[in-house]
Amino acid sequence: MRRLVWILALCLIGAAPFSARADSSPDAALARLLDEARATAAAPGACTRPDRDQLISILCAGHLRVGVRDDYPLFGTRSGDTWQGYEIDVARAVAQRLGVAVDFTKVKPATRIPMLADNTIDLVIATMADNTQRESQARFIRPHYYQSQTVIVGPRDLSIKDDDVRGQTICVTIGNGSNAELVSRGARLMLFDDSTMLTEHLADQACMLAAQDDTFFAYYLNNPDFGGRFTEKFGFAEAPWGMGVALDHTDLLARALGLTSQIFNRDGVFLAAAKANHVGTRFLRQQQEVWSRPECNTDTGGTNPACVLPPSNPDLAATPFANGVVEFEAMVSRLTGIELTLPMLTIAPAWSLFLSGVVNSLLLIAGALVATLAFALLFGAAMAARPRLLRWTARGMTIALQSSPILLTLVIAASIIHVLLPYSSVLVLSAAIIALGLTNGANAGQAIAEAYWTLQDERGAAPSRQFELFLRALSRSATQIVAFLINAAKGTPIASFIGAPELLSALTDITSFSSGRATTYTLLLVFYTVVVIAVIWLCRRFQTFLERGGVLA
Amino acid sequence: MMVFTSSLFSRFLPAFLSGMSVNFEIAGIALVLGLAFGFLLALARFRGGIVGSASSLVVGLMRAAPTFVVMFFLLNALPRVGLSGVMIVAVSLVPYAAAFVADSGVDALRQWHAGSHLACLLVLPNIARAFFVLVMSSSAGAAIGVPEGIAILLREAQKLPSIGDMLILFVIGIVCFSVPLQAGFAAVRLLQRHLGRVALRHRPEPLPESSPLPAR
Repeated sequence: MRRLVWILALCLIGAAPFSARADSSPDAALARLLDEARATAAAPGACTRPDRDQLISILCAGHLRVGVRDDYPLFGTRSGDTWQGYEIDVARAVAQRLGVAVDFTKVKPATRIPMLADNTIDLVIATMADNTQRESQARFIRPHYYQSQTVIVGPRDLSIKDDDVRGQTICVTIGNGSNAELVSRGARLMLFDDSTMLTEHLADQACMLAAQDDTFFAYYLNNPDFGGRFTEKFGFAEAPWGMGVALDHTDLLARALGLTSQIFNRDGVFLAAAKANHVGTRFLRQQQEVWSRPECNTDTGGTNPACVLPPSNPDLAATPFANGVVEFEAMVSRLTGIELTLPMLTIAPAWSLFLSGVVNSLLLIAGALVATLAFALLFGAAMAARPRLLRWTARGMTIALQSSPILLTLVIAASIIHVLLPYSSVLVLSAAIIALGLTNGANAGQAIAEAYWTLQDERGAAPSRQFELFLRALSRSATQIVAFLINAAKGTPIASFIGAPELLSALTDITSFSSGRATTYTLLLVFYTVVVIAVIWLCRRFQTFLERGGVLA
Repeated sequence: MMVFTSSLFSRFLPAFLSGMSVNFEIAGIALVLGLAFGFLLALARFRGGIVGSASSLVVGLMRAAPTFVVMFFLLNALPRVGLSGVMIVAVSLVPYAAAFVADSGVDALRQWHAGSHLACLLVLPNIARAFFVLVMSSSAGAAIGVPEGIAILLREAQKLPSIGDMLILFVIGIVCFSVPLQAGFAAVRLLQRHLGRVALRHRPEPLPESSPLPAR
């Protein structure tokens, strides 16, 4: 008998760890949590207690109020009373697991968190990325139920090697967090307010490439017509999507949803819903593998950094003087009612872009002026030269440059230089300076040559006095030379089209990931107008110098 | 070496010529608006006084504002205006066009006032020349997705495999732009010479210096 007791005791001791292991599964933890919550909800007065957890409120009501998108194809759409999409299916599965009915409420990106805070809804499942900025506004449920990434979409017959988008123009929506990365990759951005404009402009070929969440493009790429013409080139900037609940009185609800999400990832519930709705499954397949691992498949797996993904961090560092700038913005707003926003002075990467943009613009203007003058003298001398071959060559080049819109001349110069040398900012600026100098210099050179020939007709000149005649021609054509110098300075912002990192380019990049578009572009207009006025003033002094025959002295 | 097949020409050239017509449309709108504003500014400057000074200041600012920056300002700083891409480019060219018309208009008014009506007419070739400059400048629309000639050319070029192929396409584009442009400039020169000869026949005093080719 004693022997039997010892055997039983040993069996119990041996079984204890297995029993404990079974109890620590997320399934058991969820079952316990829901049983306790149901018991609490059934207690008298529990459903009216002011400090009750939101899970108790849901169980008392028998309904889970979920905020969902109704305008996001494949994820959340509504046709009459019929809701469908991946997030709709996720919401239904969650409600079923909690043992309650589900009520859908339409939310927008701007309203989803406020509606949680004012208790209009219990839960948000609405294409909401889990990031550090939102952590103070809502409680995110981890593990995540989806992960989006930004994808570059373009025509099927356009190849992009090694994800290299330097110098490429990409259409983006303003405020998209991934724009900063595209800027850092050297892409030029064309900004739009609305993501639907991206597909429209891809279709009408106004945009060669467009960047947006893969979840947005998924619907269009599933369309045979659009999908037949365009394809994903590559993806970057992954952002996990999380269900969200309110910050207060949601400890139990968040715990229940976290465990549910673990189970759904492990058991492929999310994966099956994704497949049924034709959305991407790569992330969910990875997550199924992660949450099936022994170290993750526990009731504490949701807090294990080796299992759960951290929120994405879209925060950009502030400048050391950001507080002062913000106070200044507030003061201007208070005194004038004008909403002044100066992101280039408050965000560190924007400040860096702004400074280099100003310096590069001034260098570009100075370079364009010098190049215009140099090419003017060169073309003028060639067109005034005796040898016909030289004259006609210069004249032919001038006609070609006059017939080529400056934008095209810039592209040609940039294309040729890119073939000869590897891409760099200095190279693009040099290409712009050469193109602006050639275009304006050729025209000014023609004016010099015309002045030279009229002087030749009027006075005649011995070959030994040709140089003096040329100097007099400079004096006579001073108005034209100055007009084209001013023209060159005014044309410098066009260099942004070939990716020159001047101020227009820098500010376009800044506004793509920050606010304050109106202020930014107003400042840009003021900057260039003031700089051109200064150039005009300097050129007029130069004109006076030429007209007084300064070059003859 | 790219093979310029008949399909390329049948597909690309019609699209390119259609794009070029957008360049002419933009230039036309900009010139009409520029004429309206520029003529008013010229009148104000001709009258002198405070109004004339104010007008000179406005013309000075308009002359200094770079077209490309004005275009981005209209696109981004005034988004609620709801202008189409074509109109944004056209309106961005108006400061240049109006400033040029105002400058030429003051000269013309002075000639008219001096009784030299034919010399006053010399403003016409200058305005015609400005129109062609506007046509070339309207290619800035490519930067904001307006389907004008250069945008279509660059779109096609982006699909070509080598720089040689691209350069051939660019040359085709330049030739297409040069035909109306050089013909236009030749017509302007003929008109200017004709008016000059007629003016000389009727008024023996020397003509004013011709205006420089306007800045783009």
